[in-house]
Amino acid sequence: MKKTKLGEFEELVLLTVAALQEEAYGVEIKRELERRLNETLSVGSIQSALKRMEEKGFLTSAFGEATQVRGGKRKRIYSTTSHAHKVLREMKDIRAGLWNDMPKLAFKLKASIV
Amino acid sequence: MIMMRMPTDPSSIEPPKWPLKLLRFFLKKEFVEEIEGDMEELFYENVKAESISKAKWRYTLDAIKLLRPSLIRNWKWFSTFNHLPMMQNYFKTSSRSLLRNPLNSFINVFGLAMAIGFCILGYAFARWTIKTDQFHENKNEVYLITYKAQRNNGLQEYGKSPRPLGELLQHDFPQVKRMCRVEDAAVVVKYQDLVFHERVRYTDPSFLEMFTFPMKWGSAASLKDINSIILNEEMSQKYFGESNPIGETILLKFGSSKSKAFKISGVAKKFPDAHTIDFSFLIHFDNIRTLQENYRLDDWSKTVNATFVQVDQAGDIATIQQRMDQYKQAQNKNAEPDWAIAEFGFQPLATLHIQSENIQDDISASSAANYSAIMFQIAIGLVMLILACLNYVNIAIVSAAKRLKEIGVRKTIGATRNVMIVQFLTENVVVTSVALVIGLALGLLFFIPWMESMFHFSMEFSWTDPTLWMYLPAILFFTGILSGIYPAFYISRFEIVTILKGTLQFGKRNPLTRVFLGLQIVLALLLITSAVLFTQNSNYVAGRSWGYNQHQAMYVAVPNYSGFDQLRTAFSQNPNVISVAGAAQHLGKGNVNTIIRLGSRNESVDELAIDAQYLETMGIQLVAGRNFKDQSENDKRSIIINELCAQTLNLSEPIGTSIKIDSVAYDIIGVAKDFHSYSFFEKLKPTIFRLADSSAYRYLAMKIAPGKEREAYQRVQAKWTELYPEVPFSGGYQEDVWGNYYATMNNHAKFWKVIAFMAIVLASLGLYGLITLNVSGRIREFSIRKVMGAGAGSLTYSISKNYILLIAISITVSAPLTYQLMKAMFDFAYSYHIPITFTSVLIGIAILVIVLLATISTQIRKVIKANPVKGLKVE
Repeated sequence: MKKTKLGEFEELVLLTVAALQEEAYGVEIKRELERRLNETLSVGSIQSALKRMEEKGFLTSAFGEATQVRGGKRKRIYSTTSHAHKVLREMKDIRAGLWNDMPKLAFKLKASIV
Repeated sequence: MIMMRMPTDPSSIEPPKWPLKLLRFFLKKEFVEEIEGDMEELFYENVKAESISKAKWRYTLDAIKLLRPSLIRNWKWFSTFNHLPMMQNYFKTSSRSLLRNPLNSFINVFGLAMAIGFCILGYAFARWTIKTDQFHENKNEVYLITYKAQRNNGLQEYGKSPRPLGELLQHDFPQVKRMCRVEDAAVVVKYQDLVFHERVRYTDPSFLEMFTFPMKWGSAASLKDINSIILNEEMSQKYFGESNPIGETILLKFGSSKSKAFKISGVAKKFPDAHTIDFSFLIHFDNIRTLQENYRLDDWSKTVNATFVQVDQAGDIATIQQRMDQYKQAQNKNAEPDWAIAEFGFQPLATLHIQSENIQDDISASSAANYSAIMFQIAIGLVMLILACLNYVNIAIVSAAKRLKEIGVRKTIGATRNVMIVQFLTENVVVTSVALVIGLALGLLFFIPWMESMFHFSMEFSWTDPTLWMYLPAILFFTGILSGIYPAFYISRFEIVTILKGTLQFGKRNPLTRVFLGLQIVLALLLITSAVLFTQNSNYVAGRSWGYNQHQAMYVAVPNYSGFDQLRTAFSQNPNVISVAGAAQHLGKGNVNTIIRLGSRNESVDELAIDAQYLETMGIQLVAGRNFKDQSENDKRSIIINELCAQTLNLSEPIGTSIKIDSVAYDIIGVAKDFHSYSFFEKLKPTIFRLADSSAYRYLAMKIAPGKEREAYQRVQAKWTELYPEVPFSGGYQEDVWGNYYATMNNHAKFWKVIAFMAIVLASLGLYGLITLNVSGRIREFSIRKVMGAGAGSLTYSISKNYILLIAISITVSAPLTYQLMKAMFDFAYSYHIPITFTSVLIGIAILVIVLLATISTQIRKVIKANPVKGLKVE
């Protein structure tokens, strides 16, 4: 099986789902991300990212309660899988490692230029 | 209506409907509830934050943005349903059933192919005609200046223009970008030993910039040199063969005294066949001052053959037209009152060939005859296509009886009516496509070359023509609908139970098949009768009198009076020559257009100036009055008119009546029997004769003793060569002056014979197919009849009774219709034709009935000869 990759936007959505816990449904994810990114997102971009990640096994979902404001339609609550946590942690470690190495890298680059 | 802004009730605010529908339709079923809910929640949030319309707008935008590959439905159901194998199956069963009945398939395919082939011919011809003159790049900016003059029947448009007009327009209007005048003259062209009569065109150098005539050799700009001459390709070949003649010198003789050498500076490429303006030789217009005697360009009373102007935009013409009054006044002051211009006109080059029919004396040829030919071809093509489609419909309906089981089984295992319709239409498309391919081949390889060789032109059409590939699907669609729809709907309509029980009686008894067959007979009779009539007409015009004795007459064009006199002296002693006459204009070789005045009426008539012997020599008879007297000074003010002229002027006692030509009074002294100067295509025109000055004689006419024409012709030619070794002989038998009129008429007859033959074939094929199916369906019935002792007579009766009745009824209906249509068609096509009588229709009926009876009798013979035991063993 080919190794499934996580895109940058997908990673952000996945992290938001993890952070929101029980509140993680479409509109709330959108609101949260918009607040943090300070930009407007379309329903379509969020939904397609969610569906793609569900298919890849990063997310599971279940119907939540119906509310009046939604015209009686149920919410779908997303939650992260352990696989997702593993991948997220790996990503974080890779990044952290890179950040740690950065001053040295920068110094070496400078040295080679001089 | 006034729209009021209503206070909004919060509970009535809803998201827009159609984006929601869009989502419900396109999104995956399992996502719909969640996403719809999200959207709604967001919508109400936005309503609070912003205006309703903005929220709606956001909703719509979001809905559209939701249509992404990961969210929308999988359209897999389409491919899982899988139409392809089913279509393959239709195709297979279709081709099987087509191959199982090779005769019917042949009738269908062949009939449709012939009709389609003909439609392609019609299309090619129409395209060719429409392309006439369209190769000129400036066709929308170049205009011919015309003028209109008051005639008795209203304003008549003329294609000539006053001589000074062109230069003035170019001087007065900045909008006139280019201008060229055209004048024509008869000349003798001499190059080494080659000497021919030709026509030369004087024109301004801008002629070749305004019209698109590209050069094969040399340059168009060289026309600016007054000593240069430009040839067309045909002339170049005639004088120089295939070699490049640039730089060669040829001698042009103008009239009897003047001549000038020109250096060839250009050869034009071959003109496209569909053109109405061209040239043989082009020389600079200024040559006219030196080469034509007394040619004055500032004379308002005289005209030049044509003036063309080119403007920057088509709109400029309207501006110019408004300011033409000054020129009209200048002309009216100087010209004869009968030729006073009422108004000027501007005819764009692009449509000149269509308008030409109504413009007198214009240098452009008319395409009207081609347009009426297109009408005929469209009508014929349609009739043939209908005939062929009706064959298909009839055979499809009747042969469906043989396929009832297949239809029943298909329906039982779940085929809906729509599916059955698709199946039968597929079958139809298969047949039509095969027919289309064959028809295309027939059209391109047979019909088009056939017509081209018959009328000597090239349609310049090939299968690579892009518009053809738009036209072909149109034919396919039309034919498919016409032939396929009815059988498909009819056959698919039947109930499974009745089919499988075998209680269904259909096909054989469908009344529509008879109506269709009847319609075919009607159409076939129409085409056959027209073929009969065109053939009869071709014989009729061959025998129709010209109104004078064209068989014994001969003519010679002479340069001047002394030439005339020498020839006359030489031949008046010849025992084979009965009489000799002189004339300024000769029958069939041109005439002068004159306006005659009688009281307040003015009529445009043809005028011929002749001598006192001319009428007798040509065999024109006088019905009243007397002929001119030789050398009579009094008769200089006398005219002889033809019967039609007397009729037009409403003269019951024409002799002695005085009429005016250019304000000079003339007395009518005789009335001549009507005669045809030109071919029967041309309507007779009111014509007058007057006595010519002997110095104006340009023709010598002779009446030859019967049987001596050839001998006399050779003697004249020999005498001519003796008198004028430098000038080619120009003259001939009077019989030949109509050119290829009789060949054209024979071609029309030939053309219609082929059409009629095809129509007969189509109609009898259809009948043959129907009878064959009918007989093979009733083979057991006939076998039983035979076993019970039925004789040939009784069998013949039972097979043919329906058909005989049908044929009788169809013919009764179609005969009067055919008669009326033929009358209208011949009056439309020809000025003079055979009187249309019922006899021709009867001949058509006889041919049709014989062919149809022969068709029926083949089947009757088969039934009579068949062994009844075999017939009973069937199944």
